[in-house]
Amino acid sequence: MSKPTKEFNLGNLLQAFPRRGLFLLLFLAATLPLFTTVTLPNKPWDDSIDFYKNLVALQPGDKVLIGSDWTLGTRAESGGEFEALIRILIRRQVKFALYSTGDVQAPLVARDAIATIAKDEAANGQKLYKPFEDYVICGFFPNSEGETLAINNNVRGAFSGRKDYPENGPPQDVLQSPVFQGIRKISDFKYLVLVTPSNTERITFQRVKDTKLMFMVTGVMFVEDHNYYASGQLKGLIGGVKGVFDLETIMSKGYESIPPLPGKNEPGRGTKYYPALHACLGLLLLAVIAGNVGMWLSRKGVKS
Amino acid sequence: MLPLLADLEPKSFWNGFNGSLPLKVFLIGALVLGAVVLLAILRVPARLRRPVVAIFTFVSGFYYVLLWLWPTPIARDPKDAAVGLKENVSFFLADAQPVVANFSNILSGFLLGLGVFSLLRIHGRKVMKRQTDWGFSFVLLASMFAMILFGYWDFWIRQSPTGARLPFAPGDGWGPAQYGKDLLFDGFLQQMDATMFSLIAFFILSAAYRAFRARSLEATVLLLAALIVVLSLTGLIVQGWDSGVGALAGNNPDSFLMNFRLTDISKWLRDTVQTPSIRGLDFGIGIGLLAMSLRLWLSLERLEGDA
Repeated sequence: MSKPTKEFNLGNLLQAFPRRGLFLLLFLAATLPLFTTVTLPNKPWDDSIDFYKNLVALQPGDKVLIGSDWTLGTRAESGGEFEALIRILIRRQVKFALYSTGDVQAPLVARDAIATIAKDEAANGQKLYKPFEDYVICGFFPNSEGETLAINNNVRGAFSGRKDYPENGPPQDVLQSPVFQGIRKISDFKYLVLVTPSNTERITFQRVKDTKLMFMVTGVMFVEDHNYYASGQLKGLIGGVKGVFDLETIMSKGYESIPPLPGKNEPGRGTKYYPALHACLGLLLLAVIAGNVGMWLSRKGVKS
Repeated sequence: MLPLLADLEPKSFWNGFNGSLPLKVFLIGALVLGAVVLLAILRVPARLRRPVVAIFTFVSGFYYVLLWLWPTPIARDPKDAAVGLKENVSFFLADAQPVVANFSNILSGFLLGLGVFSLLRIHGRKVMKRQTDWGFSFVLLASMFAMILFGYWDFWIRQSPTGARLPFAPGDGWGPAQYGKDLLFDGFLQQMDATMFSLIAFFILSAAYRAFRARSLEATVLLLAALIVVLSLTGLIVQGWDSGVGALAGNNPDSFLMNFRLTDISKWLRDTVQTPSIRGLDFGIGIGLLAMSLRLWLSLERLEGDA
């Protein structure tokens, strides 16, 4: 018995676009905009505005604890967020300690990123941020739950015995770093800023109660974490490429009554990747609309 | 030495002996006791293993339960001495925190070791016996050994005073250890990590095209809400839409029409629909997790193979 052949019409055609063709279109949508220098209009979200306002309100000499759990898998989002964060801290001359409980590669990735940004900022007239003196990397802790609770309850004890490299010197105990001078408890850090693409954001919420929290998460996680921003538990939230673009927009142009960040603000990852995000989301919308129109046409054809 | 006993103020049961004879006695005693316990565990009959695991699980969990429930010292000075049972217990629990965290970090490290052992056993056998796709197993093992070799080589060099001066980015003084590690970590691992992650976008697009259809009323509502949220992420469309609505409303901020700006619709969706729904889901998940955790802590959970 021969198989029934599918009738060829526009409805079926719209529903049967070949997968490889879609993949090719997505490849083009994601790559071609990267070669443009267009800066798209933007209206920053409240979450991003609060994040920026809180960071720039920090005074020189203040200290911030950074949880960095990102690797290059999410560099388009977390990488841009981390770069913007470090640039703001350097320009405000805020010292920071960094740790990771999410990914064993994260401290290494962060070390490279900070070194690059510090060099870049120094070339633009800012103070050269030196390892151990201005920032210290406390390393990776495999047990996220236990360690995060320890950080909240006894921050010096949690990092005790960890070593980091000063510039041109052998490794030393991180607690000897000027970053930890005057730090007795976690509330001595003005904020804990977590840059994460993983569930460590949940663990941090649940366990860190004694200092103010701000998160930088991926676009997918933003929706869920907005919950905590809305309830006031988070003082600021940056989500995905849109969040990075928000930060960069405010940094370079300011927003309403907020002035731009003093210093040289070149387009960062958010500004560069936002057109690509536009094109990819546009393609997604077109694909969904085409599929639905195709289904509607097919159904109409069957009825008639 | 591993920072098992933190050298901190205040001196307590957990950190008071550093560099002293009592510490050495304490460590040797703990090692002997550990060896005895390990041997005893190995000799425990199969039917008694479950109670042993249950006791260890309960004791480990009990520390964190107690830490959560017992009053916590507030504004404690290192010179403060505990008075009474309540303070003694609370100081003891607080001082134990970094040590217990270290124990859990070390246990997690053992899991990593177990993973490496498992990889070696399974893939080593596959390579030795030339089983199907043994080439992939060989690549996996070779990559693992290369990463370990160059990682430790670089680490070992950096421990010396001259090695500590080496920059972390390619530069003066870099040798084969640094270049090898850089190539493997930044050149291969990180790039492959990014590649794997970016592949998800292709599957999302394909799945959305084939499955996201307005087949029912609920699906249509969901589809429309999703379209609005996606549109609100595109600054260009937001700008155009909001300007259009603004022009229609004569740019009067009090006009009813202003509620139909894309920014406002998506904000309303996020704050009024999405956030409460997620909150509800989170409550449900939280209660489920609590119940599950209690069952695990009290060893009420029956595992596969249990009688």
